[in-house]
Amino acid sequence: MFSLPYVLQQFINAIILGSIYALVAIGLSMVYGILRLINFAHGDILMIGAYTGLFLLTLYKAPFAIVLIVPMLVGGLIGVIVERVAYRPLRKAPEVALLITSLAVSMFIENLAIMVLSPRPRRFRIPSFLSKSHFYGAINFRNIDILIVILTVVLVVVLTLFVKKTKIGIAMRATAESINTSYLMGINVNNIIMLTFAIGSLLAGVAGMMFASKYGRIEPFMGFLPGLKAFVASVIGGIGSLPGAVMGGYLLGFAEIFFVGFLPPQLSGYRDGFVFLLLIIVLLIRPSGIFGQAEKREV
Amino acid sequence: MKRFLGVLFGISILFLVIFFIDKRFNSYYREIFSIIGINIILVTSLNISNGFTGLFSLGHAGFMAVGAYTSALLDLPLDKKAMLLPNLPYWLGHISLPFLLSVIMAGFMAAFFAVLVGYPVLRLKGHYLSVATLGFMVIVRVVINNTPNLTRGAIGINNIPNYTNIWWVYFWVVITVYALWRIINSSYGRAFLAIREDHIAASLSGVNLTKYKILSFAIGAFFAGVAGALWAHQITAITPRAFSFVTTFNIVVMLVIGGMGSISGSIVSAFLLTLLPELMRPLEEGMVLFGYQLPQLYGLTQLIMATLLILVMIFRPKGLMGDRELSLKGILGQKSS
Amino acid sequence: MKKIFVLALALVFAFSLVAFSEDVVRLGAINNLTGAQASIDVPTYNGMKLAVKLANEKGGVLGKKIKLFGVDAKTDQTAAANGTRKLIDVDKVVAIAGFSDTDYALAAGAVAQKAGIPFVTSGATHPEIPKRVGDFMFMAAFGDNVQAYAGAEFAYKKLGAKKAWLLKDSAMEYTMTLAKYMKERFEKVGGKILLEDTYQTGDTDYSSQIARLKNLKEKPDVLFVAAGPDDCGLIVKQLREAGIFTPVIGGDGFDTPLLVELAGPKFANNVFFTTHISYGNKSKVVQNFINAYKKEYGHEPESAFAALGFDAIGLIINAIGRANSLDPKAIRDALATTKGYQGVTGNISYKPGDRVPTKSVTIIRVKDGKFLFEAEVLPQ
Repeated sequence: MFSLPYVLQQFINAIILGSIYALVAIGLSMVYGILRLINFAHGDILMIGAYTGLFLLTLYKAPFAIVLIVPMLVGGLIGVIVERVAYRPLRKAPEVALLITSLAVSMFIENLAIMVLSPRPRRFRIPSFLSKSHFYGAINFRNIDILIVILTVVLVVVLTLFVKKTKIGIAMRATAESINTSYLMGINVNNIIMLTFAIGSLLAGVAGMMFASKYGRIEPFMGFLPGLKAFVASVIGGIGSLPGAVMGGYLLGFAEIFFVGFLPPQLSGYRDGFVFLLLIIVLLIRPSGIFGQAEKREV
Repeated sequence: MKRFLGVLFGISILFLVIFFIDKRFNSYYREIFSIIGINIILVTSLNISNGFTGLFSLGHAGFMAVGAYTSALLDLPLDKKAMLLPNLPYWLGHISLPFLLSVIMAGFMAAFFAVLVGYPVLRLKGHYLSVATLGFMVIVRVVINNTPNLTRGAIGINNIPNYTNIWWVYFWVVITVYALWRIINSSYGRAFLAIREDHIAASLSGVNLTKYKILSFAIGAFFAGVAGALWAHQITAITPRAFSFVTTFNIVVMLVIGGMGSISGSIVSAFLLTLLPELMRPLEEGMVLFGYQLPQLYGLTQLIMATLLILVMIFRPKGLMGDRELSLKGILGQKSS
Repeated sequence: MKKIFVLALALVFAFSLVAFSEDVVRLGAINNLTGAQASIDVPTYNGMKLAVKLANEKGGVLGKKIKLFGVDAKTDQTAAANGTRKLIDVDKVVAIAGFSDTDYALAAGAVAQKAGIPFVTSGATHPEIPKRVGDFMFMAAFGDNVQAYAGAEFAYKKLGAKKAWLLKDSAMEYTMTLAKYMKERFEKVGGKILLEDTYQTGDTDYSSQIARLKNLKEKPDVLFVAAGPDDCGLIVKQLREAGIFTPVIGGDGFDTPLLVELAGPKFANNVFFTTHISYGNKSKVVQNFINAYKKEYGHEPESAFAALGFDAIGLIINAIGRANSLDPKAIRDALATTKGYQGVTGNISYKPGDRVPTKSVTIIRVKDGKFLFEAEVLPQ
């Protein structure tokens, strides 16, 4: 019923989509791991990253390599500011207060973006060598797709090494384990949390760039759905765990593409329902996600 | 006896206030007060599961949707039903219940779904439970979108009779608040609190966790269904898009701002957070202030609301009321502890 | 706590006591100026404001100036209903125009209908809106059935297409209706729909659907795409990137610069769509509108919705003039007997008992990034 090239094409589609979800999910998951915070503003930092890229590309005609770096830095900077202004005063507050604050931050950024940047979607144009398509029979993909997959893999490897091997990485893991104990052990917890936010938001910035480059459209609300999907992905994988977030991202990518691709088209409309059904089933079998450890704290 | 008199006194005051609003305010303010009432029902009922039992659900909009569609399907006039939904099963196509009955049925339908979903899902904890209930909400929406014979899909049902008015709404507000109040101050309520504080200890003291969790979830869902039904007959046109993340988040925000575990906090915050954006409308529509025409700044309301939220959370992280309740004494200036 | 209560109450009274002493004609405009629909509705609102400004420069109506009250519905049905109530009860408007989407038009229309205030929806195109709301509800645009028929017939007769692929957004009322009528007419004239596929608003990745299209044994001659303005450019782009250059046919949702902007001029070639107006039309009405819009906002009209907003308000002002009264009932009656009103989007007339205008459908061909006039079809 399905030809081989068709199956291969859907497989490639799934890997690309999964990479994007994974890229967004890692940052979200890192922040969650340390603060137990579902950072709803993550998707909006993704949006800011994308707009930064747009301005560099169109106003300053900057080369793409630079355009890749600056949105990361801007994303990281915004993350640090948000953490300092909105989240740090709530360090001792209930987790729900943090959750609501992150919702409020998200609302703030989105509406500010609407007022300053206008709600109108814009085109995100990338250099032609990146948008070049490759055709192998009925199969096709673009250079940007390859870049996304490679970048995701590289970032995951670098980040894993960083967390496992470096002193700061170890301090981060200690803080995620217990803020109070880490504090007693002489770790500057505030700095570590800030750094985690910076790295998480940096990843959001780069994910925004990649998202915009792949689809070529950006708008103030563009971060909402990827943020939500990344949240689902990291919960499936076990929130707080790096390999979990990556795994969850790819699982989600495959689930979405295969659901639409290999079931009758009449069912395509049920896709989002299916994604969440899958999530609930995974959670019922493994209540803390695939790679997650049992939660010690509750909301 | 004394408490009974107190309740009676409170209800009479409310009656007078509504009477005043109904007679003296124009329909815009009347409808705002109706929406406030609907939000009070939504927030206080969410408080049962999220606040008192510690099950942080994000699925409230899903139960609202179930209630809205159930009631609309039950009480649409027969001629409208034949026109809008010709493919309904025979029995459903040929009944048109009175409003009160259809609202109650909406509540039971939502509660039924809560039991169905709650049985597997309530075993989860913390954020995992939150995201699973959010998932339930998405599934409800997707199913509504894809069953046009029953729900008209994305097009939605309109021409729903405009039964809801301020009297109906506050009738249900009184019932909701009173019922929740009684439940919280009963042995059930103490079981809920025990689960929130320490579910292991609660379980060891003989609280049947599954039963009480589902019960708490279902009670909340019942009133969410009622609120959904009232909302449907207020707006008179419902579509699946109306029951979205934004709806759920709005209710959750009101709950947390009011204080989780405080019924009066929920009421106060539903009141303020519904009224404030409406009051700020002239600001963004470019009002004339001291002879100056201010520029139109659409989106300003949301900016201000977001800033307010952040400030409230920073300065009162447990919400305006925490888990305390407003009491008459407190309002009159005496410190009640 | 007490202070907040007192403050809130004081605010309520302060705002309800704002006096209305000016002697003006009060009109309402309700649109989704924030939220997901904003990119569609903001141009509409701009068009409406421009209509009022131009009318006032000519002396207003009935010897009075016109004042337009703009309300934001925030892409939320509750806010749509509440905002309409505010326009009617607080701002005391005599007629309202607004919305490019059926969901919100229905919620707002129901309120206006109950209050007996005429409501003209500028851009919502579901043909049954007036029937479903009541006799105070009017449309400024043609119905989706009309444009879908025009599109389907154009594909079959002019493009010679016999086999088609259809993609629709299953989360939007507009796209579902459009797709339904496209399919109906295309099959009626003898065409065949090979595959009907769906996506949902907010999706950005259509790779799975496109892969399935490429996998079809028979190749379609034309691709029907029922999509909203924000999605159409992206869909065309992804189709072309996958090497599919078959002609695409869309509805008025395609009438946005975003189509070419997102897809790029090269990929947007061979796209056709049905819409309300061709801004390339050299007629004086259209060119005057474009010039006035440019002068006011510094850029050309973003989409057909700007012109529709302009016409919706124009229709109301015209009706007030003919009614020679500010009584909403009289304005409604005058609206219902509108004949040959020369709007930017064409001549608008309402047949007796029908509040969907009989208007011509313009078919546009996209070539090298330009919207070229292809044909004008008068519905039967």
